[in-house]
Amino acid sequence: MAAVTQTVEQVAGLEKYKHGFVTDIEQDFAPKGLNADIVRFISAKKNEPEWMLAWRLDAFERWLAMDEPDWAKVNFPKIDYQDSYYYAAPKEKVGINSLDEVDPDILETYKKLGIPLREQEVLAGVIGSPRYAVDAVFDSVSVVTTFKKELAQVGVIFCSMSEAIREHPELVRKYLGTVVPVSDNYFACLNAAVFSDGSFVYVPPGVRCPMELSTYFRINAENSGQFERTLIIADKGAYVSYLEGCTAPMRDENQLHAAVVELITLDDAEIKYSTVQNWYPGDPETGKGGIYNFVTKRADCRGDRSKVSWTQVETGSAITWKYPSCVLRGEGSSGEFYSIAITNGRQQADTGTKMIHLGANTRSRIIAKGISAGRSSNTYRGLVSAHPKAKGARNFTQCDSLLIGKQCAAHTVPYIEARNGQAKFEHEATTTRLSEDQLFYVMQRGLSQEEAVQLLVNGFVKDVLQELPMEFAVEAQKLVAISLEGSVG
Amino acid sequence: MSLTSAIRDRDVAQLPSRRDEDWRWTDLRGLIRILPQPSPPFAGDPGAGVFDPLATQVVTLANGRGEAVIYVPAGETAWVALRILSQGDGAHAARVSITLADGARLHLFETYEGEGGYVAQTSLALTLGEGAGVERIVLAADSAGGVSISQAEVTLSPKSEFAQTVLTCGGRRQRIETRVAHPGGHASLRLDGVYLLADKAHADLTTVVTHAGVDGLTEQLTKGVVRDQARGVFQGRIVVREGADRTDAKMGHHALILSDRAEVDAKPELEIYADDVACAHGNTVGALDEDAMFYARQRGMPEADARALLTEAFVGQVIDRIDHNEARDLVRGWAAERLRP
Repeated sequence: MAAVTQTVEQVAGLEKYKHGFVTDIEQDFAPKGLNADIVRFISAKKNEPEWMLAWRLDAFERWLAMDEPDWAKVNFPKIDYQDSYYYAAPKEKVGINSLDEVDPDILETYKKLGIPLREQEVLAGVIGSPRYAVDAVFDSVSVVTTFKKELAQVGVIFCSMSEAIREHPELVRKYLGTVVPVSDNYFACLNAAVFSDGSFVYVPPGVRCPMELSTYFRINAENSGQFERTLIIADKGAYVSYLEGCTAPMRDENQLHAAVVELITLDDAEIKYSTVQNWYPGDPETGKGGIYNFVTKRADCRGDRSKVSWTQVETGSAITWKYPSCVLRGEGSSGEFYSIAITNGRQQADTGTKMIHLGANTRSRIIAKGISAGRSSNTYRGLVSAHPKAKGARNFTQCDSLLIGKQCAAHTVPYIEARNGQAKFEHEATTTRLSEDQLFYVMQRGLSQEEAVQLLVNGFVKDVLQELPMEFAVEAQKLVAISLEGSVG
Repeated sequence: MSLTSAIRDRDVAQLPSRRDEDWRWTDLRGLIRILPQPSPPFAGDPGAGVFDPLATQVVTLANGRGEAVIYVPAGETAWVALRILSQGDGAHAARVSITLADGARLHLFETYEGEGGYVAQTSLALTLGEGAGVERIVLAADSAGGVSISQAEVTLSPKSEFAQTVLTCGGRRQRIETRVAHPGGHASLRLDGVYLLADKAHADLTTVVTHAGVDGLTEQLTKGVVRDQARGVFQGRIVVREGADRTDAKMGHHALILSDRAEVDAKPELEIYADDVACAHGNTVGALDEDAMFYARQRGMPEADARALLTEAFVGQVIDRIDHNEARDLVRGWAAERLRP
């Protein structure tokens, strides 16, 4: 009951989108538009080695020859790729060594967002409370990464992508682009050409990462796009849990966010990847503004008995186009996908997962909960496939959609491809509205309609919330409530 | 991109390909390099059809030739056997138009019979008046070398009933597509299917149901058994338009894969724009239940018999839903024959 009270309080005291403020700081921009020179500019800004620039230019060439995909159930005006800044970074004060040298405005921003960047602040909490290391990405650059030293002691590398390219080129070259190839799809290809930062994690064999790692993405600059690239490698027998959060200011124009996330697990390794996506969703009445969230996330379970678990809470963005996937290559490897996608106002989401069973005895599980309210549209699109060698592959999929209101839409588009006689796939899906009986029952106990809806929705998504790390679960629960605000009545 | 015009113009570029989302598993452009010459008239006597004894009227369309306009006047009941025959290696297209006046009833027994390496397309238009009822039973026995695409457009009226059971053993490429415009208004729809595939057969059962009005009912159950290197495809889409409240739609697809090289592809889709609905789909793909096999065998049943018994029971669930008694028995026999190796 405590969480519900908290949710209710939270909703009462909130504006519709609390992260919609802008931080006014001096920033470096690349010239507006996109061409080979911009790609060179970004690479030069990051002091990248020659091979990285060549990789980017090759991606750019390929991107020029590609067409924007149009198969998703989303509608938006054509994007003018020349009308955006591809690089925006807070003006750097030469050689930042400690957090004290970071622009106080940025620190203030993260404080306002509730992200602890000061290690002592994290420690100041109750003894024994969970700690987590943060990589803070502000527009195109990573401004700070915390707990690096402590992580280094156990051999875990956690740093920004630009730093990894400079400091650990052997690891980056070995793994970058091996899960999501450069020309995988239109947006991934664009990302490969212009990606500016992101997080890099390497967990050495047998190490269980001592704390949660997280990256917090913030788009701040106007007219800019964010293109980050995350690469996480869990070596043999390693384990890491990684969280990702994102917010952006409220603006009338649409901003593009095209990220790529690559996960690699070797034998017996496990990665747990959680996302709470809360980009600005645009104006709920007019649909103006908001982030276009076109993200490619894929995990390659290369090792035997390795495991990847995706958990996502998608509440923001004007448009979401995102399919975190698992390529289950290693024998006995397993993939999980737990998702809550909430759309309200004029939001459109087309999201789901792919579970590609290549190895024998691979297992996967998909639990997707979609909630549409207002005039939004919410699509689950997924693929489960078993190749001829994937003997004994098993999948269980459950996708449920909940509709709140007369003008919203919910779609389910699962693809199932079984190519051998020993695979076993089960899939079930339902689409309903909130049950009148349940609402009546809760309301006659004295809850208002809005509170009642929140309570029931929280029950509907419970299976997924349980999979989130604790500190995220509370936040996510609040987020669910806020996202649905104004959808009843 | 219509098959009819592709056949007419002998233009392979108009054939649907893997790039067309609705045809990704039934690629025709990759299969047909050159569209054959138009089929010559059917030669010889086609003999009697399996459903002839149950029908009061037999309508035969052979190699795309023949008149097929069926009309059932208000309040009357008709039993029609519709035979669609294909012979040789040519290409042909056939059209069938069926209209039921208010309150009319029709038992439609439809068979596809073929021999040779033909490319055949059949378009059916079925229109039901208010309170009219149709039970359509389709037995598709195309030849292993034949390409056959059957596309039916069904338009329901309020309070009408449409029930369909399709049984197929596939072809070189075969697709049986049913699109239903569902007005709601207590009209009820049942769309069932069974595919029994062996060797290199391919069968695609595709359905699209569009609910446009309140109080619509749809029930779908498709089951498949594939062995050898066969490939079964099921694509079901239920669309509930804005305002089509109190729609109740259920879709089930269950398939058994009995060999290591067979394939089943399924896409059970829901597209919903109204909130007061109850829509659900379930989909399973897997091997025969080993526990059930063990049980049957420890009772002394040879393996082949046990397998046949269990697969017959599996698809029997669909066949049991056929209303017409004699047709149901006939269909059950047809299925059993194809399940026993």
